[in-house]
Amino acid sequence: MSASAPASFDLREGGEARPRHLGHRLAHSSLLRVLGRRLLAAIPVMWGVTFLTFLVMNLVPGNVARSLLGATATPAQVNAYQAKLGLNHSFFVLYGNWLGNLLQGNFGNSYSSHAPVTSTIAAQLPVSFELIAYAFIISLVISVPLALLAARRPNGIIDRLSMTFSMAGVSVANYVLAVVLVWVFADVVSAFPAIGFVSIGTNFGENLRSLTLPAIAVGLPLAGFYTRLLRADLLEQLQREDYVVTARAKGIGPWRVIVRHALRNSLFGLITVIALNFGTLLGAAVIIEQIFSLPGLGNGLIQAISNHDTPVIEATVLIFALMTVGGNLLADILYAVLDPRIRYGSTTE
Amino acid sequence: MVKVGVGGGTGRTRRSGARRTSRLIVAAACAAIAAYGVSWVATSSASTAKVAAGAGSGGSLTVLLNTGFEGAWPSGLDPSTDTNGLANQDMMTSIFGDLFQLGPKGKIIPDLATGYKFVDGGKVIDMTIRNGVKFSNGDRFTAAMVAKNITRDLASPCTCSPTSAWTTLAKTNPVTVSGNVVAVHFTAPYGAFISSIISSDANWIADLNALQTMGASAFQNAPVGAGPFTVVSDTPSQEIVLKRNPGYWQSGYPLLQNLTFKTVANDEAAYEAMQAGQGQVYIDASSPQIEAEAAKTYKVVEEKSTSPYDIQFNTSIAPFNNIEARQAIYYATNAKQIDDKLFNNLFPLTESFTAPGGLFYEPKVPGYIGYNLAKAKALVKKLGGLTVNFFTIAIPTAEEATDAMAAQWQAAGIKVTTANYPLAPLISQFTGGKWQVALQTAGAWDPAQGVGVGFRFDSHSPFSGVHSTQLDTILENAAGSTNLATRKKDYAAAAALIAKEAWGPFLFSYAPDQIFAKNVTGPGLSIPLPAVAVSATVLWQDVTATK
Repeated sequence: MSASAPASFDLREGGEARPRHLGHRLAHSSLLRVLGRRLLAAIPVMWGVTFLTFLVMNLVPGNVARSLLGATATPAQVNAYQAKLGLNHSFFVLYGNWLGNLLQGNFGNSYSSHAPVTSTIAAQLPVSFELIAYAFIISLVISVPLALLAARRPNGIIDRLSMTFSMAGVSVANYVLAVVLVWVFADVVSAFPAIGFVSIGTNFGENLRSLTLPAIAVGLPLAGFYTRLLRADLLEQLQREDYVVTARAKGIGPWRVIVRHALRNSLFGLITVIALNFGTLLGAAVIIEQIFSLPGLGNGLIQAISNHDTPVIEATVLIFALMTVGGNLLADILYAVLDPRIRYGSTTE
Repeated sequence: MVKVGVGGGTGRTRRSGARRTSRLIVAAACAAIAAYGVSWVATSSASTAKVAAGAGSGGSLTVLLNTGFEGAWPSGLDPSTDTNGLANQDMMTSIFGDLFQLGPKGKIIPDLATGYKFVDGGKVIDMTIRNGVKFSNGDRFTAAMVAKNITRDLASPCTCSPTSAWTTLAKTNPVTVSGNVVAVHFTAPYGAFISSIISSDANWIADLNALQTMGASAFQNAPVGAGPFTVVSDTPSQEIVLKRNPGYWQSGYPLLQNLTFKTVANDEAAYEAMQAGQGQVYIDASSPQIEAEAAKTYKVVEEKSTSPYDIQFNTSIAPFNNIEARQAIYYATNAKQIDDKLFNNLFPLTESFTAPGGLFYEPKVPGYIGYNLAKAKALVKKLGGLTVNFFTIAIPTAEEATDAMAAQWQAAGIKVTTANYPLAPLISQFTGGKWQVALQTAGAWDPAQGVGVGFRFDSHSPFSGVHSTQLDTILENAAGSTNLATRKKDYAAAAALIAKEAWGPFLFSYAPDQIFAKNVTGPGLSIPLPAVAVSATVLWQDVTATK
């Protein structure tokens, strides 16, 4: 799907004449250089994220001492606790100290638990990561076959049903879906737990059970979106592209044309959207983790915000930003994997 | 010297022993108990009428807690460093036990202490510590350890530290030990001492030797106490798994084998989790709709309220530095209508800071001005109009009540602007000093402690809008006296003065509900208990989940 290829890529015909090993191509193309540039460009983005987060936390009413000590604390008690935490300095001093520590690989300690932020994040990250991965799998497992079936017979019964499903998926907020899922599958059917998390190390089966409803709540709306997107792209390929006509003229069966030829090109658009959706997914995880009482980054972030626990908030937001940037970079790499013709031109980069 | 508690005894096993104890002791104690109004009972949990079948025979329970309050323990569960202390009272009591517990009908139940007495006219309180008790790790539970804990708590950053209540604490050697007696010294009589202990982190005694060995970080996630349960695992603000403490001092207790506290997002999530079989108890439900739905399947029991809603005035600035403006609000406020229309008449109306679950309850106050729309209109007209800024905390119950009151006031010709603030900006309103009128709660099990009457009406409190040395003196005397009758009289006088000066209309006393499976019984669940601070502390050692 050349139309979906990003403008920054130099797509050169004939590149597939001598198929090369991926590692070889990476080493000898400008891909690594481009990725390096992207990573360098991400540094000011990361810095901006941390600065803005710090600024916002400084501007919102209240402070960590007030949050932790509660309503009955007197101003004197609040001031004393602020001093005890070392927070009775100006914004720039506090931010400078935090940034200095960060550059040395030290995220600092949580204001509320006093535990190292890295250990807190290390405990939460796998939960969120697993939830997002599971949600992606669910969304792709649903959307890809559905889009293929829909594209096989446009305006047929399956196509109409898939469009109804995707419209519903896009329209329903994931937190509403979560409540419905809990009611049906936890309360009525008792097939899955309503709350809680079991780690992989404890019991893999229970781990999957504990994450299934949250992952569906996150993944189903995505599946609706992806189905619409992929179906539209597949139809465009099937109706307009010469290579499809050629394949059909060669007597290749319709399913083979869709799956082997059209789908591969259509995946470009999907990958782009998936990469851009990464940040959205993290936002969804914040709400869904709260509803299902999952001990992930999102739930931790909510608690940290409640407590004005800036070191934890900063670290979490930074990780969210890194994951978003990382998702985009991953998409760039996958372009090269999916289409050997793609080269990274220095002029366009 | 007023002797209120009697040392010795061995908890539930001491029931029979106590019966053998001479009636003379009981009779002598009764006189003092009657005087102080705190009926000490020989059984440590008189509420548990049935005979225990044995420790661990009560099955296992998962208790759901709201993430916004009880279900948050970000700074761990070390009594001295848990800044969310009182909200975590169910977990703390399970792990540490208590020196004293608050039982049904406000009875003081000696737990790890066996009794207390006032010495030196009430300036010194001697607490007798139970002998033979061990922490869950086998370390001895001693009076010296209790004293160390209390001293440590006095430096605690948590507002559940007794420091804020113990304003007359002696400057030098405030906590001393002699044998198995811990003495706390004050410069003035302090009759509300035991109430203040129960509503503070001083009630929970940690094994500070274990703290030394484990380190602060490990200890706050797996604290060692002498309570009925020990920690198996702890994921802060998510889940804490406890199991029966086999070395618990009371033979045959706790009844439960396992006790798990799990955090949920809100009332609805809790109800869904219970429906899915993932919890059997939900503490402090506050959504009437959820409670009504839950009542079809579970037991729903209202806690004994101790904290009425009140309308606070800032009497330092206009318009409420004028008594007629305050009286106009009194006349314009129809508390009964709000209770009826918004809360299905669930909460008892009151004219003072006392409530049905607390000490000194007196719903009627002489001279209290009730609802009278005609008089409200007349006063507003006399004042040449009245424009007010009315605010409350951003929680649904308070917001709904505020909107309803604003409508009532507008019917009297008062121009009202309303605002709802989260906690931090709400506090800023008070500390800024420019606020006019607010809907808050004022009251506690003992009015002398917590968010009691002094918190809202004493000149020294930053959250008070009243500045009266006369009222301050009455409240100080009420907190200081060791005589219950005197205290009741003082608080009645305080309520009458507040009514006379129109310093704050009172509405009704709200209390959350406990939702639990029908096979669960125990004090604080099937037997309502008064709220210590915001909610009641369940006596988990007595709870059972078997039919």
